[in-house]
Amino acid sequence: MGGVCSRKRDQQVVEDGMRRGVSGRYGKSGSSKWLLTSFSRPMVVHQPGLAICPSLMELCIDKICEDINQYSSFTMLPKDISQQIFNKLVLSHLLTDVFLQKFRDCALEDVWLGEYPGVQDSWMDVISSQGTSLLSVDLSGSDVTDIGLGLLKECSSLQASTFNHCENISEIGLKHISGLTNLTSLSFKKSAAITAEGMCAFSSLINLEKLDLERCTGIHGGFVHIKGLSKLESLNIRCCKCITDLDLKAISGLNNLKELQMSNSNITDFGLSYLRGLHKLVMLNLEGCNVTAGCLDSISALVALAFLNLGRCGLTDDGCDKFSGLESLKVLNLAFNNITDACLVHLKGLTNLESLNLDSCKIGDEGLANLTGLSLLKSLELSDTEVGSSGLRHLSGLTHLETLNLSFTLVTDSGLKKLSGLTALKSLNLDARQITDAGLSALTSLTGLVHLDLFGARISDTGTNYLRCFKNLQSLEICGGGLTDAGVKNIKDLPSLTLLNLSQNCNLTNKSLELISGMFCLIFSSSRLVVVFSVFQLSCFYERCALVMDFAFCVANAGLNALVSLNVSNSNITNDGLPYLKPLKNLRSLSLESCKVTAAEIKKLQSSALPNLVSFRPE
Amino acid sequence: MKRKDTVKLISADEMEFVIDKDAAMVSQTIRNMLTSPGGFAETELGEVTFPEISAVILEKICQYFYWALQYSRGKETEFHIEPELTLELMMAANYLHT
Repeated sequence: MGGVCSRKRDQQVVEDGMRRGVSGRYGKSGSSKWLLTSFSRPMVVHQPGLAICPSLMELCIDKICEDINQYSSFTMLPKDISQQIFNKLVLSHLLTDVFLQKFRDCALEDVWLGEYPGVQDSWMDVISSQGTSLLSVDLSGSDVTDIGLGLLKECSSLQASTFNHCENISEIGLKHISGLTNLTSLSFKKSAAITAEGMCAFSSLINLEKLDLERCTGIHGGFVHIKGLSKLESLNIRCCKCITDLDLKAISGLNNLKELQMSNSNITDFGLSYLRGLHKLVMLNLEGCNVTAGCLDSISALVALAFLNLGRCGLTDDGCDKFSGLESLKVLNLAFNNITDACLVHLKGLTNLESLNLDSCKIGDEGLANLTGLSLLKSLELSDTEVGSSGLRHLSGLTHLETLNLSFTLVTDSGLKKLSGLTALKSLNLDARQITDAGLSALTSLTGLVHLDLFGARISDTGTNYLRCFKNLQSLEICGGGLTDAGVKNIKDLPSLTLLNLSQNCNLTNKSLELISGMFCLIFSSSRLVVVFSVFQLSCFYERCALVMDFAFCVANAGLNALVSLNVSNSNITNDGLPYLKPLKNLRSLSLESCKVTAAEIKKLQSSALPNLVSFRPE
Repeated sequence: MKRKDTVKLISADEMEFVIDKDAAMVSQTIRNMLTSPGGFAETELGEVTFPEISAVILEKICQYFYWALQYSRGKETEFHIEPELTLELMMAANYLHT
């Protein structure tokens, strides 16, 4: 049960662009806690009642994929059409080395085979036959070796290449890339092949704008070779433990850098002093680095800086007065530092801030007084702080707030009325045991709420009456144990609800399922995402799935109640209740852990009535 | 049926297909031809000639138009495509934005 109850874990924050964190509209409360999310969120918009007709083009492509054996070559087709056929074969996992032969000389522009099974050197011949038409290639996770990589020399127009964790590519293979001078984007995440010497191959890639060497372990000392890449705008060397201050010296001349990610590396304040001249730098990620507030001296020199991540750096109040100079900052992450209210004083003047993450910092009510002037704030993370009810009065004027996380704080019911004027709020996390019905009653003016997390709050059936005010709610979690079937009656009328977690309410019975099944469900969850993310990102994704249990995405549409995911674990639901779920034709995720429900019965339901159910527990 | 509610699609081999305008407008290309202002011959006459589409393919395309109309009204049947027509049909579909 522990796993079901607790989503609060010491989790490594990994980020793929800080900007996303702010706009993650469909962020689940559990993960939006981590301001900087690790993956983008694809959205599927479903138009209820209107069957989307496949185009004739799509039908033809499907037909060709079906009869693929009958075609010997697609060279006679216009290249955009063969491209579509190719993409479809990849997407449906039908492409084999034999079928690939049919695409020889097809002038394909994109060959995206990242994480595709079976890709090896024997595939490279056909890939390179695309010649100068080929603009982008992704061979991540493949068995391609140096020899295979060498064949890409012919494809001199290549602009984007991705070879993440290709274990069979060595330093020798890298040399083949050096002639691809049209490359603007190159990614070699988690590649042992990239050594300091190997990076020599990059020195000729003068058009490179984006270089991704995340999790490469042997690149220390290699940055001298990229000194001359004057167009480089984005450099990702996250989790490269080997990076030291000296490497930053080599980076210091990359005057066009806009984005520099070096979280979890061994750099110190001294190293950062080399970066003072990067006047175009907009984004700097130093999460988990061994820096102190002393680095703010150097950072103050970065006049364009808008996104700064100093999470988990072990910062203390010492030297935090330098924050006051970072007036252009829009996003600041200070989560998991040892800073106190004394530090917040220096944030007072950062009036451009739109997002501030103070998760698990040692701050309290008095410190919040310094935030009153940050009127542009849209997102504020105060989870796991000592903030209590009296501090909330300082937030009442932050009328642009869209996301507020007060989970695991000391905030009580009496303080919540201070939030009643924050009508721009879309996401509110009040996952705290001391919050009860009375607190919820003070929030009924927040009619724009889309996500409401009351995971551990003690909400009873009476409290659910207030939920009626939140007509826009898409996700709701009430897992405090106080709900019975009577409370579910109020929940079933929320027209936009897509994700519902009512686990831990032991008294819920099959009657609840009957009530819930009135809601039509549309779910977009883990299995679909497999296609979209690389293996690395996926591992983060599953980590989060475990964290949130019922993680899923969806988009609600006007006129259709669109439940995304259902979790009623640890309740009195039995096998007899399962048939109620039959109308939920789109259900993709169902969790009924610790119920009197068997996996066999869920499987039966899945095969007879719920074709889209891809994730269920128990399994 | 009033004449203005129909359009005439003419194949390369000069076969004429008279179909409902609604059906023809499933194709974005034909829709543009029939609705664009400026007095195109197609708009005036309600006739479109396809010098690169054979009668066999054009017939199949007309079938698709009607199938698509039914589909969007909720009749989700399967649209059969003969394997030997697929490639040519696909190129026509590409041209017609269909």
